[in-house]
Amino acid sequence: MLEEALEHLIRGIVDHPDDVQVDMVDNRRGQRLEVRVHPEDLGRVIGRNGRTAKALRQVINGVGGKGIRVDVVDVDRR
Amino acid sequence: MSETEVVGNSAGDDVAETDAPEVDGVNALLVQEGDIAADYLERLLDIADYDGDIDLDVENDRAIVAIVGTDLQPLVGNRGETLDALQELTRLAVQQKTGTRSRLMLDVSGHRQARRVELSTLATDTARRVLESGEAAPLTPMNPFERKVVHDAVAAIDGVRSESEGEEPNRRVVILIDK
Repeated sequence: MLEEALEHLIRGIVDHPDDVQVDMVDNRRGQRLEVRVHPEDLGRVIGRNGRTAKALRQVINGVGGKGIRVDVVDVDRR
Repeated sequence: MSETEVVGNSAGDDVAETDAPEVDGVNALLVQEGDIAADYLERLLDIADYDGDIDLDVENDRAIVAIVGTDLQPLVGNRGETLDALQELTRLAVQQKTGTRSRLMLDVSGHRQARRVELSTLATDTARRVLESGEAAPLTPMNPFERKVVHDAVAAIDGVRSESEGEEPNRRVVILIDK
C-alpha cells in the first residue's frame, strides 16, 4: 500500500508520471522506500531545500509508514 | 458574461462542459483547482483505505478543499504537520496541471477551523494581558497559517500590535503594546 500511495503522490507532481518507480527495500537497518523518477523530475520531487521530499516522507509516515525512510535515487549518478 | 457563447461551439456538449462554470476567469481557475485536488486526494484515500468525502468551496479568492470523515487523524498528524505536508503536495499537483501557483487551503475533519478558534482565543487573551502589564508576550512557534490567524486577531484589538520574529520552523509571533 505504501509504495502505491507514494507512487501516486509523486506521479501527480511530475512531468513524466510513467517514469516514476517506487520500491520497498527491507534490510537490517529497517525499511525504506526507494524512489526513481525521470532525471528532469528530480528537482520537482526534492523541492527547494528538500521541502517536497520532506512533505512526501511526512505523508507516508502519517498513513502508516511510521519511521520508514523515503530516498530519492539520483539515477544520473549510477 | 461570456462574449463567445455561440461561436465555434457547435460541436457538442462535451466541449462546452469545461468552460461552463466560467463566471469569471479567476473563479473558473479556482473551481478547476478544487477538482484537480479532489482527484489527487480521492485516489490517496482509496489507496490508503480511508473513508472520507471531499468538499470543495471557493472563499476569498482561494480554493478550499476539505476532507471530511471519521478516523482521519493520521492525515492531520502532530500539530497538523501531516496536513501541512499534504496541502503542500496537493498544491504542487494542482500547479502541475494548471501551470499556475496554487494557494488552495486543505482541511481535514475541521482541524484548521478548530485550530483557528483556539488560536484566536489565545491571541485575544494574550493581548489583554499585554495591555494590562505593558510587557511584550512571545507566543510558541507556529506555522504561517497559525501566525496569520494570530495577527488577524491582534489587529482587531486597539492598543496592541503583533510581529513575527525568528526563522522557520521556530518563527513566532510577539504581541506588544502599540505606541
